[in-house]
Amino acid sequence: MKQAVILAAGEGQRLRPFTVTKSKTMLSIADKPILQYVIEALARNGIRKIVIVAGYRRKQIFDYMENGERFGVEIVYITQEKQLGTAHALTQAKGVVDDEFLVLPGDNLIDADTISRFVDMEPEAILVKKVHNPTRYGLVTTEGNEVRSIVEKPREAETDIVNTGIYSFSKSIFDYIEAELDIPEVINNMIEQGNNVNFQETGGTWFDVVYPWDILSLNNEILRTIPPSLGGTIEAGATVKGPVSIGKDTVVRANSYIAGPAVIGANCDVGPNVVIMPATSIGDNVVISPFTEIENSVISNDVNIGPGSIIQDSVIDESCFIGGHFTACSEVVEIRVDDGNYSVNVGAMLGVGCNLGNGVVAQPGVIVGNYTRVQAMKLIHGNLPDKSSVY
Amino acid sequence: MCGIIGYTGEKQAQPILLNGLAKLEYRGYDSCGIAISAENIELYKDAVRVEALRKASPELKGTLGIGHTRWATHGAPSRINAHPHLDCTGNIAVVHNGVISNYQELKSRLVDEGHKFVSETDTEVISHLIEKYYHGDIEEAVESAVADIEGSYALIVLVKDEPGLAVARKDSPLILGLGDRENFVASDVPAILDYTDRVVYLEDGDTGFITGNDVKVKRDGKEVEREEHKVSWSVEEARKAGYEHFLLKEIHEQPKVIRSILGEYTREKELVADTLGVKDTDIESMLIIACGTSHHAALVGKYIIEELLGIPVRAELASEFNYYSHTLAGGVSLAIIQSGETADTLKAMRKLKEAGNRVIAITNVVGSTASRIASHTIYTGAGPEISVAATKTFMAQLMVLYWLGLSYSRLDARRLSGLVKELRQMPGKVQQVLDDEDSIIEQAKYLSGFENVFYIGRGMSYPLALEGALKLKEISYIHAEGYAAGELKHGPFALLGTDTPVIAIVPEDDTYEAMLTSIKEIKARGSPVIALAEEGDETIEELADAVISVPRVDRLFSPIVNIVVLQLLAYYTARERGCSIDFPRNLAKSVTVE
Repeated sequence: MKQAVILAAGEGQRLRPFTVTKSKTMLSIADKPILQYVIEALARNGIRKIVIVAGYRRKQIFDYMENGERFGVEIVYITQEKQLGTAHALTQAKGVVDDEFLVLPGDNLIDADTISRFVDMEPEAILVKKVHNPTRYGLVTTEGNEVRSIVEKPREAETDIVNTGIYSFSKSIFDYIEAELDIPEVINNMIEQGNNVNFQETGGTWFDVVYPWDILSLNNEILRTIPPSLGGTIEAGATVKGPVSIGKDTVVRANSYIAGPAVIGANCDVGPNVVIMPATSIGDNVVISPFTEIENSVISNDVNIGPGSIIQDSVIDESCFIGGHFTACSEVVEIRVDDGNYSVNVGAMLGVGCNLGNGVVAQPGVIVGNYTRVQAMKLIHGNLPDKSSVY
Repeated sequence: MCGIIGYTGEKQAQPILLNGLAKLEYRGYDSCGIAISAENIELYKDAVRVEALRKASPELKGTLGIGHTRWATHGAPSRINAHPHLDCTGNIAVVHNGVISNYQELKSRLVDEGHKFVSETDTEVISHLIEKYYHGDIEEAVESAVADIEGSYALIVLVKDEPGLAVARKDSPLILGLGDRENFVASDVPAILDYTDRVVYLEDGDTGFITGNDVKVKRDGKEVEREEHKVSWSVEEARKAGYEHFLLKEIHEQPKVIRSILGEYTREKELVADTLGVKDTDIESMLIIACGTSHHAALVGKYIIEELLGIPVRAELASEFNYYSHTLAGGVSLAIIQSGETADTLKAMRKLKEAGNRVIAITNVVGSTASRIASHTIYTGAGPEISVAATKTFMAQLMVLYWLGLSYSRLDARRLSGLVKELRQMPGKVQQVLDDEDSIIEQAKYLSGFENVFYIGRGMSYPLALEGALKLKEISYIHAEGYAAGELKHGPFALLGTDTPVIAIVPEDDTYEAMLTSIKEIKARGSPVIALAEEGDETIEELADAVISVPRVDRLFSPIVNIVVLQLLAYYTARERGCSIDFPRNLAKSVTVE
């Protein structure tokens, strides 16, 4: 297989506020967007011709991935103007695909091992995986080497094998796409019309992010495997323990304590006297002021965190400016989202560009919309819409 | 980043190489060159762009050749440092993209062995290494040479009397293009897409030898198969990475440009307080010279430096400065010169230096003429800018001016630390403007129906009015005038009416009240007013016909967000009118004549 089509046009509505300004594929996990993991997995398997079908918030994808040279691949972009499902997205790429090609979702995190055998699989085929919670996904029923059907999010699971959304296709797939909006329906059609669709099971990494707090567990998972590296300056008296990756031009100032696994991006200013506990990812150009402690959290690019703050199990998106003594402690809480109630251990979740005055206290589970402004000494809780003002 | 290309086949190589190099200019364009093998190896190179090389170079006959377009990292752009590089005998020519990290060590060893170096580049060691190992088998010589090299490289090697080209790659891109009785090598696909769509991607560690009829790829000395790919997209698509025009791509690169300058300079701020080469207490005044868009950056710089340093600053057009009969002596001057080659600015720099001034150049091109004249050079590091209309380089110039101002600031420590923290937030603020284009597109559609537009501002927003108008005229061909808002009533009022919209830049700084008054006066003449105002400004909503909201930032930083709005407004207006956005009529990127 020489070519891959990555479907990256979708929005990821259940991940709001994080997907209001960017697509789900651009969510940062351990300081890298999910889409980058997919591209790197392909490059490491020798697939260098990549077609990205982009739609929702596509310019951020263009800006970050550019022509792919940084990742050793060549990217061509195809636009899906309206998000009408995966089969429709694939159809947009019809004019640029080879006779055989892989199809992958851009918003599921994989690594090179996930697809290392599948890249040689003859079309038409599906990559499947055994999971613990199959009813969240498309269930694949099989017979011998062949797929019998794909059942989307069934109420009861008769198998634990699910569809990863990774396919090996030939151009003939386009003959079966009619009014169907999603690829599983197209495959069911093909099978009904007497075609063989094979499957292969993978034991490799495959993660989906559905709700905002999934970012934390996924970050945790990926950080387990990061290689330690040091690109910046560690001042005397600072301690770095365990696997920690520190980017270029970052300064970790005196008496700070960093316990890995952790990633700190480039050009950050950390400390003095800052404590970073395991499973924390910090982006580029981030300032973390003295006497702040951060634990099991994801902090994106250009964030400023004031002195004396405590941040646990939290996700803070790009360009938030947070004053001193910010408190975001975690607890097991019930969070209500559109399709139900979920019990999760979480601190605060802040969208991009929020501005918090000094001494703000976030109740566990608070979801703060993008560009929200909060006055000093306020308690924030619940689900705040974008551009809220808390006075 | 540099671009390289090679051709072997039956056609004349020179036009194919030059055409390919032009396609590779997005990778760099401060110098370029070609070498063609006929009876001997004929070389032509210079510190010019590809189009100039095409015009200047003599006809070199031959069907086997290599070419290079350069973006200097070390070693100034000059004829000597341009590629290809020859060995001592002149029989071996090399083009290279990448960085040889152990070249000092290799060079001194080769010099000890008697090799003569002529350039300051790392690449030249490769030519001499190959010379050292070449005893009739070019493949073996290249394999031995790359075994000595540490760093990154994509190489094409031309040797007299050899029937083809030797290639090698590690950590820099290199592809082979397969034709009919001809073959190509290049840094990337666009360079060869006019000739073939069949491509082989080399892997890191590969070496090879190609002739017109044969392609051989080797790994650890053994021949390997590399799959052939068919490329199905156009040159332009690949280079623009999803965008319709380079201009929009470059506008969108600005958060990255800001972040990289912050990385470069905020860190250094603690270490380097002597950029200007004078003690901060000794600076009593400053002169900034520039042309075009750079002059608008200089005018913003005047406000920045006057406020932060509390000294008087003059911003002068370099093209006029050369006619002034009195020049200050013994002072500090800044020259803002994007390409590093603008003739008027260079002349003014020489004049200032002769008068005994310390001249600091701010340029985007490493090793350009400006950096050789200047006492000290600050690089804006925005990368090559393809579109003729400057956007990201203007932003980079502003960032350098802020950094200079803040490094020498005489503000109190608390205000200063607040400003430095806020400056680090600018990538996000610019991203916010980029993410929220809809209201800008709507206004652009409206503007595209007019033939005359005014831009007004006061204080720091005055130079932005000039720059916004310049952007609109250069890419949409709409007649646009930038004015200091207070000057409108001294004449231009006569031109206002329902068919002359006015773009007003209205940040909530000390110009705010006066701007409201200006807008009321304009409204009274019937002109539609589009205001750029801070989020949540309700007063302006009632006054203007349309408002484009910009993120709130410290008043000192308002140009950073406002300029992005003005760039997008010009871009979408030009697009609406179907203009040739990246290469407007009658304009060139760098103006090297007075």
